[in-house]
Amino acid sequence: MRGGARILRELVRRKGALLSLAFLAVLVLLAVFAVALGFDPVKQNILHSLEAPSRAYWFGTDELGRDILSRVVYGARTSLMTAGGAVVLAGVIGVPMGLVAGFFGGWRDAVLMRAVDVLLALPAILFALALIAVFGRSQGAAMLAVGITGIPGFARIVRAQVLSLRQRDFVVAVEAFGGSSGYSMFRTILPNSWNQILVQVVVLCSIAILLEAALAFLGVGVPPPTPSWGEMLRTGKSYLHEAPYYAILPGLALTLTILSFDTIGRSLTAILENEDAAVTRAEGVAS
Amino acid sequence: MRRMILVRLALTLPILFGVSIAAFVLMRALPGDFAVAAAGTTSVSPEALAAIRANLGLDQPVWVQYLAWLQGAMTGDLGTSFVTKRPVVGEILPRLAVTAELTLIAATMALLMGAVTGLASARLRGSVDWVVRLYNGFVLAVPNFVVATLIVLLAGLYFPQIRLFNYVPFFTDPLENLTSLILPAFSLSLAVSVTISENTRAAVLEVAGQDYVMVARAKGLGPGKVLRSYLIRNALTPVITITGLQVATLLGGSILIETIFAIPGMGQYLYDSITSRDYPAIQAIVLVTAIIVILVNVAVDIAYARADARVEL
Repeated sequence: MRGGARILRELVRRKGALLSLAFLAVLVLLAVFAVALGFDPVKQNILHSLEAPSRAYWFGTDELGRDILSRVVYGARTSLMTAGGAVVLAGVIGVPMGLVAGFFGGWRDAVLMRAVDVLLALPAILFALALIAVFGRSQGAAMLAVGITGIPGFARIVRAQVLSLRQRDFVVAVEAFGGSSGYSMFRTILPNSWNQILVQVVVLCSIAILLEAALAFLGVGVPPPTPSWGEMLRTGKSYLHEAPYYAILPGLALTLTILSFDTIGRSLTAILENEDAAVTRAEGVAS
Repeated sequence: MRRMILVRLALTLPILFGVSIAAFVLMRALPGDFAVAAAGTTSVSPEALAAIRANLGLDQPVWVQYLAWLQGAMTGDLGTSFVTKRPVVGEILPRLAVTAELTLIAATMALLMGAVTGLASARLRGSVDWVVRLYNGFVLAVPNFVVATLIVLLAGLYFPQIRLFNYVPFFTDPLENLTSLILPAFSLSLAVSVTISENTRAAVLEVAGQDYVMVARAKGLGPGKVLRSYLIRNALTPVITITGLQVATLLGGSILIETIFAIPGMGQYLYDSITSRDYPAIQAIVLVTAIIVILVNVAVDIAYARADARVEL
């Protein structure tokens, strides 16, 4: 990645982005070390059901007397893993699609981009629901459904990147010296597109987490007993008046996570725009 | 102009074709026997299964099945519901009207909120701009189903006289119908209002920097006149375009909102069809939604071209 360390330095200099990074770091650490930290999302204590937050249960308990804090922590696990898998899937399919479409043009471009248009003609959640209706309810199906709806984002960004990079001298030079199309695509153009892809990854993480939660909220996401934020909101909705924190706290965790990814995404975009402007100025001075 | 419209419509044909294939293949990709799914139970006699197969044309080659389905879809026959055994079209149309009303109200609310905050942000700058942008950043991060849940909670706590989950059909009582849709439409509109607000802000800032605005000011027009006749008029075109392009977001969001507020629209129909495994209904909803999104996008393009003579499609 071009100047990865510099971009990170720029990022932590922005207050919003730094806060967001810190929040996500805590969330990831909690999710990873959930077992070691002694969180137990399934232990029932029916005598203590629907208890308000207390010293023993920081986030209160649910209708089966399970610790809501533990379930929120394990929900982060479900959320981050499903969204992460979906983003990887979308990238692994979408990035080569964009590379091929942009590089070769012609019929390949037409076919691939029409496929992208078809995906864009359907609201993501509707497409995901239809896929789950076909494949049944499982974590894999949720991941697949969310992942496929993320393909257009990668394909379009990378295609646009290819089209603009192909005009640049260093790419033309590789072709002029007889570099194969595979070499041009994967060794010349792709390494120069990582920044744009990174922004798209962050943007898509936020969308994927939202979509995963929406599916769980509708009751077709990752199946129980695996805790997930959307599922907790769905059940908590039935106890809104007895135990408002039951729905609100997972909703808050979800919102803060999405907010963090959004904030980092916006900061990254701003930083890269500044860099591009600086590069353009520098090139203008040089010529 | 007519030529442009025809070309733009022709360009949608490959996408529509692709959507129809996707909708068809998706349902044929069902694990297990489609005829068993149609019967709704696994305890059917082989003869009954054979009859279902012949009836649905499942004994034909796949491409014949696809063409038959496509021909049906083009003549308004979207298949028969597995659950009610009635034509799916008859089930979809009344629900589509409900969803259309909900999304229209939501789009109007989003346009009003977004245009006002975006305009204030661009014209007043300073702390107003800062507050609006901070507010937009937060609102965008709150999922619409969380907003709806909070509304249900707060309405129950502080306004127990409001009857939620109480949809009234338009022709029963138009006024009650509108009031019953206000809170659902509000939850649906928030995220879209942010997109509109940000785009309004950018559009107004851009127009304000144009020479003709400077000329208008230089010849002594008052700030109110400049705002009304120059800024709002010229900034409005891109803003309306953006609103039109949000139709997919609104339709997707309506699935969640209709389920939460018990509104008998297409989103809730999809949800019900998925829980009852009514595959022809799911297929039809996918197709109808895609057609609506594509047609609205075309309409937006055409409206944009009409409003701005410089645009060529």
